Amino acid sequence: MFEAGVREYRERYWVPEYSPRPTDLLAAFRITPQPGVAPEEAAAAVAAESSTGTWTSVWTDHLTTLDRYQARAYHLEPVAKAVDQYMAYIAYPLDLFEEGSVASIAASITGNVFGFKALRALRLEDLGIPVAYVKTFQGPPNGIQVERDLLNKYGRPLLGATLKPKLGLSAKNYGRACYELLAGGLDFTKDDENITSQPFMRWRDRYTFVMEAVRKAEAQTGERKGHYLNVTAPDVEQMLERAEFAKELGSPIVMHDYLVGGFSAHQTLANWCRRNGMLLHVHRALHAVLDRQKEHGIHFRVLAKWLRLSGGDHLHAGTVVGKLEGDRQTTLGVVDLLREDRVAADRSRGIHFAQEWASLPGVLPAASGGIHVWHMPALVAIFGDDAILQFGGGSAGHPQGSRAGAHANRVALEACVQARNEGCELEVEGVEILERAARRSPELRAALDTWRGIAFDFDSVDTLDTVPA
Amino acid sequence: MRLETFSYLPKLSVDEIGAQIRSILDRELVVAIEHSPRVDPRDHYWTLWGLPLFAVRDPAAVLGEIDACVRAHPDEYVRVDGYDARRQGQVASFVVHRPGQED
Repeated sequence: MFEAGVREYRERYWVPEYSPRPTDLLAAFRITPQPGVAPEEAAAAVAAESSTGTWTSVWTDHLTTLDRYQARAYHLEPVAKAVDQYMAYIAYPLDLFEEGSVASIAASITGNVFGFKALRALRLEDLGIPVAYVKTFQGPPNGIQVERDLLNKYGRPLLGATLKPKLGLSAKNYGRACYELLAGGLDFTKDDENITSQPFMRWRDRYTFVMEAVRKAEAQTGERKGHYLNVTAPDVEQMLERAEFAKELGSPIVMHDYLVGGFSAHQTLANWCRRNGMLLHVHRALHAVLDRQKEHGIHFRVLAKWLRLSGGDHLHAGTVVGKLEGDRQTTLGVVDLLREDRVAADRSRGIHFAQEWASLPGVLPAASGGIHVWHMPALVAIFGDDAILQFGGGSAGHPQGSRAGAHANRVALEACVQARNEGCELEVEGVEILERAARRSPELRAALDTWRGIAFDFDSVDTLDTVPA
Repeated sequence: MRLETFSYLPKLSVDEIGAQIRSILDRELVVAIEHSPRVDPRDHYWTLWGLPLFAVRDPAAVLGEIDACVRAHPDEYVRVDGYDARRQGQVASFVVHRPGQED
């Protein structure tokens, strides 16, 4: 006989006296209990349902020591700027997770519990990943320093652009668009995420023409160039076939959409890139479905941490100033989590747990989406050197075409870096710096005149209201 | 030929080069000077002009070394690098001299 029946989750899973062990994986959840459900019970339910618990006692519970495997909700606090919402902190023992597997963490921590009826909404705000677990991953195939050394690019942010129109060009014309931008001064061009292998442009044709463009631009400029060849494919076999062909053509880099491709496929590709000395650019289609609503889903800082673990050399992380969602402090926190080796807990940036990466290589954040030359001083000030600034429309939309547009962006970038190194405050003196550089660059002059006053001033949807008052 | 950082700006004056070197020294980077008769984006190693200038903290001293390197190799490319010992890698590089009339 055993004591059958339904008990409150909090009897076992709410443990406020618990002090997390250094090997525990920690999660910060924003919880919205259904009316009448106590916050302790809701937090305990999350801990239970994402670890050893289920809705009723089962006899097989007595064949193991649940103490060893159960998660514990150990701390609760009200969300500062909301009613009847709470931050719940939960500690998971390390044995719950398979070594080196983002799929394992995601399935456990963001599984059934997100559909649990006793909660109206649930959001995973942050994960504290113990060093012991970090060391089971190899992370980015190359990392920031290796990429800079391979490409011989130092002391400035890198410049990129997504080729437009994003759909409908023939392979040869697509290669032309690539060539003009790279010859004009960009370091990289990029496949839009919609581009895989459609009837109007099959992947093999695209790769061939684009790589001719890359080689020609390199010969003309004396600089390394690349195009993010998207290898996101219907299945993993075709993904790897495309990556192999990119390597065979001499491309330094391939691109993958990690959320739509899935964590397992992504990690297969990251491993392949590491074995083959290829850079890996990572796009994040699907992320806003998961991360934009502040009461439900997974915060992007968690998706970014998962990417650093599973492997990627570049990741799109917001621009602060462009057309896409992203509060400034939050974005800066994510950028630190991608690039730095140690990140302190800082609630003003939404970071709940100190994170130690144990020398796992860093990821270059890519800023892309509605940015143009007037944003350059702010972008250089915000991101510093270790970032990729991507001007798609902001290059090809230049009145004299892509080459002039790329040239204008490169002049603006270098003028900002030069001024910064001379001690100028870019966010104060930016206009003057650009105007001065434009006196000796007709391309920059035309770009400044085209995009003067174009801004995207909307309030962020996902604001930092979990910061304690 | 463009050749990377600052190659899209008008040729840097001696004062402007000095300002960039001061910034490298202020960040406590190690300065080095390299030269090469040819440029190829896949050629990572140009000839070092002596050893990196480990003890030098004065931009004028670096400008003096650049000048000596250019006088010894007027028909070569000369660039200045900055190494970050904490990061264990190179973080700065720009060309300060090109052969002949090329600009």
